[in-house]
Amino acid sequence: MRLGDVMRRLIPPGSYVLFLLFLTGIWLAISPFVMTTQPSGTHWTTSTINNVTIGAIMMVVSLFGIVGYIVFALRDLMREAQAKQTAF
Amino acid sequence: MSTTRLSLGKYICGMTASLIIFLAGGWLILAPFALGYQPYGADWTYQAVNDFAIGIPVAVVALASFVLFFYSLLGSLRAAGVLVSRPRVQQPQEAPAQSQPQASAPYQSDLDRTLATLAAALAADLNSRRQEDNNQQTIPQLPTIKRREA
Repeated sequence: MRLGDVMRRLIPPGSYVLFLLFLTGIWLAISPFVMTTQPSGTHWTTSTINNVTIGAIMMVVSLFGIVGYIVFALRDLMREAQAKQTAF
Repeated sequence: MSTTRLSLGKYICGMTASLIIFLAGGWLILAPFALGYQPYGADWTYQAVNDFAIGIPVAVVALASFVLFFYSLLGSLRAAGVLVSRPRVQQPQEAPAQSQPQASAPYQSDLDRTLATLAAALAADLNSRRQEDNNQQTIPQLPTIKRREA
């Protein structure tokens, strides 16, 4: 199996979209500080807490989706390789 | 004999992540009003605009991601034979002609080549014998020499 085929099996189109959502989560978490809607030195406002929380959830969940898919796909590839070896 | 194991974990993993992010996008749209940092009737604050502008694309893209993982799951189920593809309904007329070549596809080219060579050699041999017979019938007075070609 070629490297391109392996990469295609490990990273489906959905994983690229999840990576885009991961980047969106980063922006969501830092946006209150970048847009200076959160004054420095004061307690976090409600919107800041909300944005940072949702951004962190998005980052974690999208990474979980990408890495989980890769782990399961790698396990399938290893099983196939073992089955081919035992067949020969 | 090796068996194909159908593993759905990876698709469920991706679909779950997409679904959670879809819900997060929906919450982002609602949050300015639910948490009260965007009063009704007032001009939209920066936080509300940002949350709204991020929430809608996040929900749409997460839905697209869910659909992509779902189609990958369907493709895997079709490949494993759990789901039957739709075009089979229209295929019965062509099925007898197509099913046999598809079943023995790896052997098709070698077998075809050998049979074609054999058929061509037999046809050439048959033609040459017929021509010889015709020549012998058209000139009966000449002495004939019987030859047999191996």
